[in-house]
Amino acid sequence: MNAAVWHALVSGPLRAAPGRSLLAVVAIAIGVALGLAVHLINASAAGEFGRAARQLAGEADLVVQGGRTGFDEQLYPTIAKMAGVVAASPVLEMEAALHGRRDTLKIIGIDALRAYALQPQLAGADNGARNALFDTDAIRLSTSAARALDAAVGSTVTFKVGMKPLPLRVVEIIPDASYRQHLGLMDIAGMQWRFERTGLISRIDLRLASGIDAETFRRQLQTQLPPGVHAVTPQTDSERGLAITRAYRLNLDMLALIALFTGTFMVFSSQVLALLRRRTQIALLRALGVTRGTVLGWLVAEGALLGLIGGLIGLGGGYLLAVQAMALAGADLGADYFRNLNAELIVEPLTLLAFLGLGMAFAIIGATVPAWDAARRQPASELHAHDDDDTLHRPKWIAAGLATMLTGALLSLLPPLGGLPLAGYGAIALLLIGAVLLMPALTGILLSPAKLTSVPALELGLAQLKATPRHVAISVAAILVSFSLVVAMLIMVLSFRQSLDSWLDQVLPADLYLRAAVAGETAVLSPAEQQHIAATAGVASVAFTRFQSLLIHADQPALTLIARDLPGEDVSRTLPLISPPATLLPDSPPALWISEIAAALMDWKTGQTVTLPVGGTARTFTVAGIWRDYSRQNGAAIVSRDLYRSWTRDHSANDAAIRLSPDTTAAAAEQALRAALPANAAIEIVSASTIRKISLGIFDRTFAITWALELAALIVGLFGVSVAFSVQALARRREFGVLRHLGMTRGQISAMLAGEGALTASVGALSGLAVGTVIGIVLIHVINRQSFHWSMELHMPWLQLLVLFTITAACASATAVVSARSVMRSDTVAAVREDW
Amino acid sequence: MLSLSHLHKTYPGPAPRSILQDINLELSPGDYIAIVGDSGCGKSTLLNLIAGLDLPDSGSVKLHNREITGLDDNTRTRMRRRDIGFVFQAFLLLPYLTVLDNAALTLKLNGVTHREAQSKAYAELSAVGLTEAIHRFPGTLSGGESQRVAVARALAHEPKLVLADEPTGNLDADSADVVLRLLRERVKAQRSIGILVTHSSAAAATADRIYRLHHGALHAA
Amino acid sequence: MHRPSRRRLLLAVMAAYCSSGGLASANATQNRSAKAEPGHLLHFPRDHGSHPAFRIEWWYITGWLQDQDARELGFQITFFRARPQLPAGNPSAFNPEQIIIAHAAIADPAQSRLIHSQKAARAVFGLAGASENDTKVWLDNWQLNRRGSGYESRIETPELALNLQMNTTQPLLLQGANGYSRKGPGADAASHYYSVPHLQVSGALRTSGVFREVSGKAWLDHEWSSAYLPETAAGWDWIGINLDDGGALMVFQMRQVNTQQPLWAAAKLREASGNIRVYTADAIRFTALRLWQSPRTGTRYPVAFRVNIGSLEIELQALMDDQENDTRQTTGAVYWEGAVRAFSKGKRIGSGYLELTGYGRPLEL
Repeated sequence: MNAAVWHALVSGPLRAAPGRSLLAVVAIAIGVALGLAVHLINASAAGEFGRAARQLAGEADLVVQGGRTGFDEQLYPTIAKMAGVVAASPVLEMEAALHGRRDTLKIIGIDALRAYALQPQLAGADNGARNALFDTDAIRLSTSAARALDAAVGSTVTFKVGMKPLPLRVVEIIPDASYRQHLGLMDIAGMQWRFERTGLISRIDLRLASGIDAETFRRQLQTQLPPGVHAVTPQTDSERGLAITRAYRLNLDMLALIALFTGTFMVFSSQVLALLRRRTQIALLRALGVTRGTVLGWLVAEGALLGLIGGLIGLGGGYLLAVQAMALAGADLGADYFRNLNAELIVEPLTLLAFLGLGMAFAIIGATVPAWDAARRQPASELHAHDDDDTLHRPKWIAAGLATMLTGALLSLLPPLGGLPLAGYGAIALLLIGAVLLMPALTGILLSPAKLTSVPALELGLAQLKATPRHVAISVAAILVSFSLVVAMLIMVLSFRQSLDSWLDQVLPADLYLRAAVAGETAVLSPAEQQHIAATAGVASVAFTRFQSLLIHADQPALTLIARDLPGEDVSRTLPLISPPATLLPDSPPALWISEIAAALMDWKTGQTVTLPVGGTARTFTVAGIWRDYSRQNGAAIVSRDLYRSWTRDHSANDAAIRLSPDTTAAAAEQALRAALPANAAIEIVSASTIRKISLGIFDRTFAITWALELAALIVGLFGVSVAFSVQALARRREFGVLRHLGMTRGQISAMLAGEGALTASVGALSGLAVGTVIGIVLIHVINRQSFHWSMELHMPWLQLLVLFTITAACASATAVVSARSVMRSDTVAAVREDW
Repeated sequence: MLSLSHLHKTYPGPAPRSILQDINLELSPGDYIAIVGDSGCGKSTLLNLIAGLDLPDSGSVKLHNREITGLDDNTRTRMRRRDIGFVFQAFLLLPYLTVLDNAALTLKLNGVTHREAQSKAYAELSAVGLTEAIHRFPGTLSGGESQRVAVARALAHEPKLVLADEPTGNLDADSADVVLRLLRERVKAQRSIGILVTHSSAAAATADRIYRLHHGALHAA
Repeated sequence: MHRPSRRRLLLAVMAAYCSSGGLASANATQNRSAKAEPGHLLHFPRDHGSHPAFRIEWWYITGWLQDQDARELGFQITFFRARPQLPAGNPSAFNPEQIIIAHAAIADPAQSRLIHSQKAARAVFGLAGASENDTKVWLDNWQLNRRGSGYESRIETPELALNLQMNTTQPLLLQGANGYSRKGPGADAASHYYSVPHLQVSGALRTSGVFREVSGKAWLDHEWSSAYLPETAAGWDWIGINLDDGGALMVFQMRQVNTQQPLWAAAKLREASGNIRVYTADAIRFTALRLWQSPRTGTRYPVAFRVNIGSLEIELQALMDDQENDTRQTTGAVYWEGAVRAFSKGKRIGSGYLELTGYGRPLEL
């Protein structure tokens, strides 16, 4: 009996029309593949990040650390001698600029004899390395760093310190099993000397005597640490690193989930239409005594089967996709978060099962709604009815749709949960679902005023659409869902880009920018070199900048302190302030200009008095204003360089912003500047326009993966349209036959279908435009703000939207025609006499 | 004037089946004939050949002295649109068009303006007694009403030839009588040529002459 | 892989630390190392202290202990000081001008293998160091100090703990010629070397978490050099025995690379009367009586020896066979260093320590 029902209900129709199911399977497969790929890459990156952090911390119970600048090494003996400390390992860490290259290498300076107690892998694996244990000119490279630098044992890697090159000899390649990150290891004494960091360390790893509670000890230790130095557990250390990327990873996960959501929608729409076609069969089975539950069960099982097949294909595809994406864009998918990581794809069976389950669940959900509808009908009336009876039935989902959208709008007002914009994502989901519910009614409303009486083909198409709002609503909703998401992303990304563009204008007022090195902390300009620059012919004025990093809270990433020459000008006019600056009283603490990210992370307001650990001493400032910053995701604060120098006696500088005198060309000035500095200084001199170009390039690269996911969503949406159309075309064979009898040419029927497609797409895309704009605003003001703490201005990219609209409508029309072509090719004439 | 001469049609296949053999028929405007025969005798094939929906292996079909077997599909389609009206067993009204729009459809396909098409269709609908129903959708009509709309649709553009394929097959006897009466009335009124294909002798009896299609050959009954 | 002895290892480490290829230029490096000179006379207490100008130095205590239940144990505490060869001018406070390495081991027959622990650190920030004035050397909480009439040492690790007071009962025994000890036929390899035998030990130790009161006798060597091992030497056999009659005997022989034949040997016996007898290579013969193979490294060690020194014939029997010291984990060295009993004509005449090095694969520098 069950086999017979299965055959009549599922396998028979499946075999008769495998194409429809194929598309549903493909949609689920795409969703699962994207979701799995993004998850695999994210999980691998996060896992590798955690692993790397754990490896570096070794068996440490606590880590004492400061900002990237480091802290006084005298803290090391003090802590090492404390009761309860079994082992203390001092570490100096920096991003070293590579001479003549644009990248950096993270170098870790250790006392191998001390590190041995905590990180046995660091002690050196072979005699060659042991021979060079204290060699001040030797470096050991991780396998991945050696590969990236194309270095082998015996070769030389040249770094840049100050303005001078520093060649180091590679004495060992650390096996991959020990450290997969890009990093180099040196002796701490050699590193302090060669990298001019005498007296500073950046970390002390501690192991505590057994029986000592790490948290109690940590709290007690914290009270004895100077400002800007924090004692944390290795977990806090690695979680803090991951926290930066959490919002980004969630964003990617959400995008991938959207593809799966669209896939569900595909299953739903294809099942709705398929069941409309199979209604007579179902009614017959019901009349023959098959229970409602059995029908429902088998139809849901069919959905599960589609989900299983799609899911399995998706697992394979997702894995391959992840491998490819990792190879192309790296573990952070181009976002530059995990630059030092060399992650391997980690695939856990449980993850695969979860995604397979997710694919099946979504497919079952997609199949259940129409199955329930089909099973619930009275068989008697169904047997004598045909497809068209249902079409004038007006759905009553308007109230539900409005309520859902309203709830979504309210959700978007909620604050972040655990630092993540979960309510914002919920809002987007509800807005979409609400819009889908509204679609049948809205389609009718949008189409009702339309009149196309002069062209019979189009008139027929329009009449068909108006009369079958439920069918149309499914296609319209498929387009709405995918189109609105693409629109939202387009609005968000282009608003972001526009805001970035105008921000770059504001923050790059000078003509030329001279940097000691493209990246890294080791290359700086000495006071003498700064004088040379200022005195160079053609230089009208120059402002130097010194960057430092400050660890303010143990569980937050370090803040960038920007000490900048602020020569008496009105700072509020040179900074992209987002709110009116505070007026400082003569006796208030000095001004501190904080980025809006810093303001959000620290919860600081304009006018507030705050304390920062500058040069190891707690200094008090007044927050003078909050400025927009897109470049430092962990927050930044600007302080007068005069003040900074008087406090720290650090007179070096990283950057110089140079205004040229009117009689100089940029090329001439650049030549003069290079001549003024040491011959092999390998400084970078770039114009504001080049920086702008590079910045926008980075921006575009970062969003490349986003576009890929969006494109996938749009393609899945068009799949949905094509399924809807092809099933309808099949159902309308007889109608085509009649029209042929009545004297419509094939061309006219194609035009009718194209018109229907274009109309459907237009209605879907128009609604998608409206919903997408709302979602785009949520992305800008809720998701981005809560995830990354930066603001941007809404910018409607009308031209791009118009192009996208046209393409979508054209694709939908073409899809409609192509879907119907196979039907048209068959004998539509005979269809009018088909017995039924 | 419809003239069929020496029509042959064989369906190809592993065992070719001869459907029509040497069919000859001449009809003048105002003629209203019936073709009867058993299921599978080739009635539908004959109708398709007459309507230019299918082409004969040999022989000719001339409508008002125009040979249609040599025309391309689009020309035959335009000819069908202008010169032929259809009534089907299953009514086959377009469910998404109102009664009036269904009746006006062929007129519009022939390029008649919306307004004129509607007025002619209205006239035709009133001739079949359905003016009350013009704004209803086909799904709400009874079988007899539906077929009356179909008759109106078939005759609204004043075709030279009306082909009715088992028009009463789905109707009860009373409705069938009404439809057959209206069909004959409208064909005669417009001086069209009417061909009624049926296996009901009662229906056939409403025609001027009756032909029997048997083993591929057409005989006057 | 090489498996030098601890002393040998130290040399290897020193050489490694010092011969870093990046600093080939000699004048870029620190002052040249001091050299052991034959005519140099030792001055105390100054020479109890550290000699940082020499490349290597050690204070090496070995001895026999008895717990409350009269069970016999061996122990060893060593502090090494080494001076890596470094480029001049490094202002870093971490610059490893001196390295302190410390080892401690307990031979307990009940455990059937050595319990040992080791540490190394650069002598910076006062966390490790060695005084130049008197014996005072420390590494974190490990220490060895000369105080009053003897030495005290404290070692504290998860594996073991030693807290020993070692009182001097006899005068210093200057080895070689007035403390100038040659290590080979050539004059290039030599050290300054004195011993303190018959140290009276009392204190406590912990193994496997159990504390025990102990007492016994120990032997201290203090030796410093910049060129210790002859170039052609593979390793050595060394013994230091506290004789039950109050005498003290030190014998060593250097073995040649490949052949393992004697290259150089020397011995000094101070009889109970204080009379000193010096033996040279031709009067010294080591004969292995029994070999023990380490189950871990596969190396065979002669754990029972007959030693002929002039007319004296002594047989040495190990307290336990497995006193192999595996320090590969940190330094890459494996050797045998163990407590031995000394017999003469079948009668026990004393107890001390035997050190066997270079029995693994051929040594390499």
